[in-house]
Amino acid sequence: MRRNQLFTCCLALIMAAVATAGLAPVQAQQKAAGKPLITVLNPAIESKMVDREPLSPRLDTLEGKTIYLVDINWGGPEAAYSVFEEIQAWFKQNIPSAKIVIKRKYGSYSNDDPALWKEIKQNGQAALIGISG
Amino acid sequence: MGIPTVGAAAANIVHYAIGYDFEYTNGMPIRYVGFPFPVAGQPKSVHHSYVFEREDVVSGKPMMQAIVDGFTKPLTEKEKFQGRPPEAVAEPRLLEPDTEDNLQQLFKDKDWTDYNPIILPTEERVAAMLKGTSRKPDEVVKKITWPGGARNLTVEKVAVCAVMAGAKPQHFPLILALATYVPFGNSTSSMANMILVNGPIRNEVKMNYKGNVMGPHNEVNSVLGRSFTLMSKTAGNLHAGKTTFSSLGSNLQYNNLCIAENEEALPAGWDPVHVQMGAKPTDSVLTVSTGWSYISSVGEVQRGYPPQFLMRDYMRSLSGMGASVIMDPAVAGLLKDSQGFNTKADLAKWLAENVEKTIASFWGNGVVSTMWASMALQGLEPHASRMKAPPDSMIKPFQPRGIGVIVTGGGQTTWFVTDFGVGRGVKIDDWR
Repeated sequence: MRRNQLFTCCLALIMAAVATAGLAPVQAQQKAAGKPLITVLNPAIESKMVDREPLSPRLDTLEGKTIYLVDINWGGPEAAYSVFEEIQAWFKQNIPSAKIVIKRKYGSYSNDDPALWKEIKQNGQAALIGISG
Repeated sequence: MGIPTVGAAAANIVHYAIGYDFEYTNGMPIRYVGFPFPVAGQPKSVHHSYVFEREDVVSGKPMMQAIVDGFTKPLTEKEKFQGRPPEAVAEPRLLEPDTEDNLQQLFKDKDWTDYNPIILPTEERVAAMLKGTSRKPDEVVKKITWPGGARNLTVEKVAVCAVMAGAKPQHFPLILALATYVPFGNSTSSMANMILVNGPIRNEVKMNYKGNVMGPHNEVNSVLGRSFTLMSKTAGNLHAGKTTFSSLGSNLQYNNLCIAENEEALPAGWDPVHVQMGAKPTDSVLTVSTGWSYISSVGEVQRGYPPQFLMRDYMRSLSGMGASVIMDPAVAGLLKDSQGFNTKADLAKWLAENVEKTIASFWGNGVVSTMWASMALQGLEPHASRMKAPPDSMIKPFQPRGIGVIVTGGGQTTWFVTDFGVGRGVKIDDWR
């Protein structure tokens, strides 16, 4: 019987300790200090994620492939164009069999360019598109 | 496109592209490489080093190794996945109860404030705010699609922000009208916004349009402007480094140039802005414009150099994408009586015809170049002709309809020229 009482007492202590641990430490301190707790509305709104689309399969090699470098015109026509020229120079030195085509997208960075996407799909095997920022 | 594609972004924005943009807007785990920032405006030698000597900021690999890997490394399981993503983190209507100090800190930790203290949105305060409109709390004011996430901004969420900003229920229709613009204009170019209020509601809620109107001297001008920022940061989800990427930012984003027109002091023939845009004088209208800056007349008009000349001089420094002149009624009266501008449109027409700048200066503006230079290279007019013109030849960059005229304040012959283009507003009365 005493053994059962001891067990019940220990269980109660453990439950009390668990219940106290459930409060965030700061909140528990504040509560202990007697400060009133306030309930407020959440200003944030749940965001909805979009459906996932897979990437296109990758290439085994870039040897002999046609690679488009597309300037989206972020920051103006001079902002990133020479980066693409430098990338072209790197390919010339390192993978000379790759054919590099530099293209400027229609309009500003936010305009779609279906004609260019069609051309790349027909004639290219890979594309680098940028440079935002 | 159906072929291996790699995206390229600068370091300031690439983590947005592979994180937030992927999850909430794009859905495709595009392989990005990250160039050092900035790319634009750097000489060819720097671009050479970015390609040949620097690392991709995403992978840490040499830049060209990262690009080649992007085209050739086999896809991971995550990159092959198609279908529904895991559910986004749920946002409960109520936050966990806590002390006032802790909640004030929580709102700052979440970046939900402008880092000034807020009024905590208790259920009682929000319920009181909702009495300022006949609209239902769960009615959707706007589905926010930028930046991604398709968030439904409800009347209740607007009320939460209105409370946080310190507004009263009688201000709520104004804030609901403002909510239709959330999030505010924001870009890497350190953009700002201007809120203009016209119509009878200015007097009803006692906005200040008679003196020191752009300063911190009126409750409604203050809380209305502030509420735009709070809504943009909470419902709009605009957070520095996560969804906004300005370098300098804009101090104007604290109050968003919240002003009301002094319609009562307009010279005869000068219509209020909302009437110019087709509304009735008895309509109450709120208009939000985006821009960057304003230039002050710095003191009173000088008799020897009429104000339109100095306005013209200052406007030469603006991009040409839009402008407005904010002036004291005394300036408006002077322009009408002494200079013969019988309407606002007369002044806008004169400025459009007389503001000139060099072609080099015109294209020297980064936003102008971003938006129009590529069109010029593709032969689209009038941009193509402007691109072909000699750098030191002159251009008239403004159209009369692109120049707004706002009359506010009272008592001094001072004015500001701004690059905020004034468009059509929304009717506040619809939100009562």
